[in-house]
Amino acid sequence: MRRRILTTTAIAAVIALALSACAPSSSSNDTGSGDDVTLKVWSWRTEDIEAYNRIFDIFEEQNPGITVEFEAFQNTEYNQILTTGLAGSDGPDVPMVRAYGQLQPNIEAGQLEPIDGKVDGLDAIAPSVIAGAQGKADGKTYAVPLATQTLQMFYNKAIFKEQGLSVPTTWDEFISVNDKLNAADITPMALGAKDDWMLPIFADIVGSARYGGSEFEAKMLAGTTDFNDPDYVASLQIISDLEKYMTPDVVGVSYTDSQIQFTSGQAAQFPGGSFEIGTFRTQAPDLDFGSYQVPLPPQAVSDTPVSPGFSDGNFAINSASTNKDAAFTLLNWLATAEFGQLVADELNQFSAIPGVTYGDAVMQEAWTNYEAGQAPYLLLVDFRYGEPLGTAVLGTQVQRMFLGDTDAAGAAATLQEGISQWFTPGE
Amino acid sequence: MTTTTLRPRRGPTRTGIQLSRRTGMVFVLPALLLFVVFIAYPLFTALSYSFFGWTGINRGEFVWFDNYVTLFTKLPYRDDIPNAFFHNILLFAGAMVFQNTIGLTLASLLHRRKRFKRFFQTMITMPYLVSPLVIGYLWSLMLSPLFGPVNATLRAVGLGDAAQPWLGNPSTAIWVVVFVTAWQWVGFPVLLYGAALGGIPEEINEAASLDGATAWQRFYTITFPMLVPAIGTVSVLTFIGAMEAFPIPYALGGSMGNPAGATDVLSLLFYRTAFESGSSNAIGTSSAIATLLFLFIFGVAMFITWFMRRAERKIF
Amino acid sequence: MSLLTRVRLNRTETIAPTPPSAPKPPRRPTLGGLASSSFLWLYAAISITPLLLMVSNSLRTTQDMATQPLGLPLPPDFSSYQKAWITASFETYFVNSVFVTVGSVLLSTAVSLLAAYAFARTKSKFFLALEGLFLSGLMLPVYLAILPLFFMLDSLGLTSNLWSLIFIYGALGIPFSTFVLASFFRQLPIELDEAARLDGAGPFATFWRVHLPLVRPAIATVIVFRFVPVWNDFFYPLILIRDQDKYTLPVGITRFFGEYQTDWATLFAGLTLATIPLVVVFLIATKQIVSGLTAGMSK
Repeated sequence: MRRRILTTTAIAAVIALALSACAPSSSSNDTGSGDDVTLKVWSWRTEDIEAYNRIFDIFEEQNPGITVEFEAFQNTEYNQILTTGLAGSDGPDVPMVRAYGQLQPNIEAGQLEPIDGKVDGLDAIAPSVIAGAQGKADGKTYAVPLATQTLQMFYNKAIFKEQGLSVPTTWDEFISVNDKLNAADITPMALGAKDDWMLPIFADIVGSARYGGSEFEAKMLAGTTDFNDPDYVASLQIISDLEKYMTPDVVGVSYTDSQIQFTSGQAAQFPGGSFEIGTFRTQAPDLDFGSYQVPLPPQAVSDTPVSPGFSDGNFAINSASTNKDAAFTLLNWLATAEFGQLVADELNQFSAIPGVTYGDAVMQEAWTNYEAGQAPYLLLVDFRYGEPLGTAVLGTQVQRMFLGDTDAAGAAATLQEGISQWFTPGE
Repeated sequence: MTTTTLRPRRGPTRTGIQLSRRTGMVFVLPALLLFVVFIAYPLFTALSYSFFGWTGINRGEFVWFDNYVTLFTKLPYRDDIPNAFFHNILLFAGAMVFQNTIGLTLASLLHRRKRFKRFFQTMITMPYLVSPLVIGYLWSLMLSPLFGPVNATLRAVGLGDAAQPWLGNPSTAIWVVVFVTAWQWVGFPVLLYGAALGGIPEEINEAASLDGATAWQRFYTITFPMLVPAIGTVSVLTFIGAMEAFPIPYALGGSMGNPAGATDVLSLLFYRTAFESGSSNAIGTSSAIATLLFLFIFGVAMFITWFMRRAERKIF
Repeated sequence: MSLLTRVRLNRTETIAPTPPSAPKPPRRPTLGGLASSSFLWLYAAISITPLLLMVSNSLRTTQDMATQPLGLPLPPDFSSYQKAWITASFETYFVNSVFVTVGSVLLSTAVSLLAAYAFARTKSKFFLALEGLFLSGLMLPVYLAILPLFFMLDSLGLTSNLWSLIFIYGALGIPFSTFVLASFFRQLPIELDEAARLDGAGPFATFWRVHLPLVRPAIATVIVFRFVPVWNDFFYPLILIRDQDKYTLPVGITRFFGEYQTDWATLFAGLTLATIPLVVVFLIATKQIVSGLTAGMSK
């Protein structure tokens, strides 16, 4: 008899243990009763942790009862962390998410909450920017855009002054500036061609006006042209033509090396994104630099120089979050001009919200240029919705161009072949 | 001295000494349990993913071998897989020829030393301790054509012609990967061969030397055969390591196997398909890559092991 | 220089060092000996250079490195060490790392020793198949398991739990450890088992008292080669641990990698600190290897 009681108790205990082990973890998710909610915000911007803490302090002051816990993870692993976080029980409430193509897997898996109609201020944001936060298949908006990045040519003001150079406004001036720098034994352009992702950026900085920026984008999406278009091939040819203004064997130069070339004054110019401004400021505070848009090359389709741009990062809501009301409050605040200004002041990024002023002279100059002439960073914006990624294909092809294994026409053809695996125009 | 004490026989050859099935199972059980729960189950589940279509992390329908067909018919896999596979084979050949022979050489040299032996062992194995987070940066810097000491030294000693953009030239980049892998891993054959060499009783060598055998004869008839099991172990693990190589190629060439795919290996292809792709079916395709890789490695590793065991039995 | 060349250059030098029991003839410096010494020193120098670079750069500032990537740390700047210690929460994370690494290495070595002994001392196809099964654990990309593992642990509420890491790393160590240990067990002469059996020892006693001490070099090797990758791994804790207090050192160190810029000096300082325990473990383990060898097998 006793044995039976013991056995039964033992079995009951084991079952109880097993059940409690299988129960979803009672993590820090609040029941959303209305008072004192903690929102978990995730990001890949480890550089900005302190800045975001200051920013969210301001939000917390305006919204007593909501605490924001900001956490940043290593950028290269962020996609996996996000996917498992959204799928698991202890995930973020408001994660930062990638833009355009890389956002789609999370949307299609139903992990993000649609926000149309629930967040004010979305209509003020430029359509090309909002496109980065939308589902390709259903067209719904899932996130509030955070930042815009612009691509342009940075230059070292001190070197230009020493060499008696001024910012070029025509293509001939551009070539002559580079020739003079070469003659003075200064590397005209620092390009880290070893890291393939820099190359489509460079291609658009020097070539976007040649193939016609937004017009070309419209034609591609409609299907009336493809990458074999002679204007696009010509834009790639420009890259080869400019090779003599880079370090010899440029494919051996890494991205970090190229940054050092610029910050140490060995190179006079750096074709890059506005995201470099923060890096240059931190690592070389004494560097006097500015930026300009590459002038129109001969036979350019566009009639003004452009800065290609793209939306870089959005804030979304986890569809499994138990604090959605508070999350929407936060998202609404993230779409205000107040937050936009904080993005400019604290994060040194271009905000996606219009009406923001930039105190940093370099940023203001780049933004003014962008507003005067803009184009989409084509491959990132429109051609990362499938496998292979347009940026990946072109990056490798430009490396092969530098190595002499292919030419502009071949590179364009390979690019077209790659994206045609999944891209259907006319959607 | 009788030969029986000096020439260990391989494996249990007499019944009564070998463990019974039941005893054997008791010994194996803890490892087996741990392995099944935390490795076998997750890994084989993941392999099964390759037979389904996926939208993000939601599993779709059963698609038989569609994902595998994709690998051989669609870009980029159609081109990337043979390219990456070729590099994996190069890594294996390079490791066998350089890493393991240098390892054996170092182990032999150390075996004889009295002075500084621990010091050298430590220096040789230290590279293994460097975190994968910075190996790429450190070697990129060392080999940088602009700022690196390697090229600067070459120029300083008059070998300026040899100063290449090591990581920017497709023909040298993959060998840099071989070299850095050897640099990091040579401690393993050194330690293992060292342990094996240490297990060779010195009396045999002495006796043979007294009998007039030359050093080469001694090496060939005594040392080398005693090393065969260690060589087998090292070879199998080198093969598996070369086929699965990830941290070092990733560190040196990024997820795309820069420059221009010259350092691309199958694990990099797996990584970027699974984690950097814009496709919703990333899990399906990447699992298919992993399954194919697994089947290949399993087949060859089993063959190598069978071959080495036969060689061992022949020698003894 | 090949062994053959060495011998040719110096016929009088014996190849095998004299065993401790015999009287040692005085060693004269020889050409062959010099050559082997220089080779060893040269190799050691190549081996260590990147590490020296890491330590040297940890004593500079990142800004300094942005203007001059290679330079001497003069005067040495220790501020990065302080920053690394605090930003990477070294005190907490160090303890976590020790707990997870020591725990998992002990676990995998212990179960692998038992299993390897069984593989070496049984003959049936069944155990061969098991051995193949274990080895197959090495043949898959490590990252492949992350999704199923995550779901399994998440449903049990075991994410953010250091014990999960111990079990996972322990299991991950089994393929390598059993493979290496089994090959060493196989080389032990069967006569030893016979002798132990005659003394009345059962299988476990034979294992414990006879076999284990003889494979000490292999055990030390296996420990080193499992300790290091577990200590340095950032991927599993990054994905499976949510609780910031439970992170391990490498995760804290990934904090220094930004999206577009990296704080190199602090990163190197953090890594230098994180590598010191590895050196200590390695030194202790190699001592075991040496003493294990001199214990000898010719008994």
